[in-house]
Amino acid sequence: MDQKEIYELLAEKLGPAALGFNDEGVEAYADVEPGSIAAACTFLRDDERLQFNQLMCLSGIDWDGYDENGKGKSVKILGYTDEGQPETSDHVSEGDFGVAYSLYSHSRRHKFTLRVRTPRATASVPTVSGVWTTAAWHEREAWDLLGIRFTGHRDLRRILLEEHWVGHPLRKDYQMPGTWDNVPLHGQPYCENPFPPIEVTPDQPAGDDPAEG
Amino acid sequence: MAIENIKTKGGWADQDHVPGIKSELLELNMGPQHPATHGVLRLVLHTDGEIVFKVTPVLGYLHRCAEKIAEGVNYKQWVVYSDRFDYLAPMCCNHAYVTALEKVMQQEVPERAEHLRIVTAELSRIASHLIALATFGLDMGAWTPLLYCFREREVILDLLERISGGRMLYNYMVPGGVRYDMPKDNWAADVLEFITMLENKKIADYNNLLSYNKIFVERLGNVAVIDPQTAYDYGCTGPVLRGAGVKFDCRKDDPYSLYHKFDFEIPVGQGEMGAVGDCWDRYFVRVCEIEQSCRIIRQALESLPDGPVQAIDLTKIVKAPAGAAYSRVESAKGELGHYIIADGGQVAFRNKVRSPSFCNLHVVEKIGVGQMVSDLVALIGSLDIVLGEIDR
Repeated sequence: MDQKEIYELLAEKLGPAALGFNDEGVEAYADVEPGSIAAACTFLRDDERLQFNQLMCLSGIDWDGYDENGKGKSVKILGYTDEGQPETSDHVSEGDFGVAYSLYSHSRRHKFTLRVRTPRATASVPTVSGVWTTAAWHEREAWDLLGIRFTGHRDLRRILLEEHWVGHPLRKDYQMPGTWDNVPLHGQPYCENPFPPIEVTPDQPAGDDPAEG
Repeated sequence: MAIENIKTKGGWADQDHVPGIKSELLELNMGPQHPATHGVLRLVLHTDGEIVFKVTPVLGYLHRCAEKIAEGVNYKQWVVYSDRFDYLAPMCCNHAYVTALEKVMQQEVPERAEHLRIVTAELSRIASHLIALATFGLDMGAWTPLLYCFREREVILDLLERISGGRMLYNYMVPGGVRYDMPKDNWAADVLEFITMLENKKIADYNNLLSYNKIFVERLGNVAVIDPQTAYDYGCTGPVLRGAGVKFDCRKDDPYSLYHKFDFEIPVGQGEMGAVGDCWDRYFVRVCEIEQSCRIIRQALESLPDGPVQAIDLTKIVKAPAGAAYSRVESAKGELGHYIIADGGQVAFRNKVRSPSFCNLHVVEKIGVGQMVSDLVALIGSLDIVLGEIDR
């Protein structure tokens, strides 16, 4: 089925919670209200005409500093300085978080992309792990790396990082840690160099070796 | 449901009725250093004796946050990180990334480059499946097939070294083509000779040694059956989905590159040694896929057109116009997808990787329950996970 037709069916079901459809880019997508994402997904899965039985991908996105004009001027992520110290920035992050759901139907052979946006302050979206179980791990990953809370998720723990890790690394304002468990993480030597650098004295004239006499 | 499952096998629920004997669940760590977990994966098992009551996979031992690196290096520099995902089939990972990037860039690729990509990706797939057979045999206690499979894999590594310069990690594909053209020293003839040997002799060897081995079959038939509904629900793809009897392959059903030009079959699980979707089916789908990959390689090499192999000058920096797209390919383990968001610059704004092993592993939380610990080893072996891809 055509992307536009799928969106029309969805908009009919959701009413004002369907925020719009965009097919200008390489891939069309529909924006929906975050509160109704679970209802939208259940409809897309169960409707006889749509039958989206596979969630291909669930991507958490930090939209902070995204260059709307498409000039590649998005905010730079923070790394380490040449001295091995974490970089800092004055930039105050305000952008929304987003989640993109890429769906596929094995029986109908069509795809669809849904997107939601949630303000940075709340950063929470209802879970869809009740619709497709595979979402449970994808959502844990989005929580771990971006700090998006999925309400109603049964087991929202970190999945890739340590339980006691501080911060969410894929956020655009994430500042790299200097040390972890007292181990320096970047650029700093673990021990003193046992071989001191060889000093060359430039003023010794060539060929004037005292051993040659 | 889990408890009923265990009851039928005479597990802890029954033992509680024996007067004077109290039983309790044992918490057991399988891994992170365990030969059957195929890498640094930890499974926290709750078992009653030999029967698994609950499985909780613990991931992240190999996490490198490649998605964060993708936001810091430019598009071409990141190809080398995609190699490190599935290090047993790096060409497929290269292919997945450049396909996704070219979709966002709306970049055409020369036909010769596409043919070379398909040949190398299929060779990589064969190498990965050979490892899958070898290590699966090893998990089940069969030592010898490992040596046979590694012998053939070595030939593939040599062939790929000749075309790309790398033995294990190739960094071969670039946006808009491939890095090098085919070497002039009879490379195509050597590939054809190798796949002919594989088709005519070696696959029969594997079948005689392993596939139809009575011990192997009795160990795997009817074990850890995954039904299609569970596979869809948990996002299983690749041989795991096809082993469940679903005829789905991105190369046929969602064609990318030039796969629509080639003639090949999609092997699915038949339930030959038990139920459809058991461990043996998942194993045997891989053996059949080796044959199909050989067919694709032969057709791709025989119809190899002349022409350039790069659409973009290698020295130029690549930029992608603003936009977002999800693109997927059939990697050796299943559906490998990238969701790339571009902002018009030379660095990705977001690059989310959907790796097949990550989703395939999730299913052990359901299928592992009620199995014997030894059958859990069979289940994990039959899923053919690779931890570089799960932890990314």
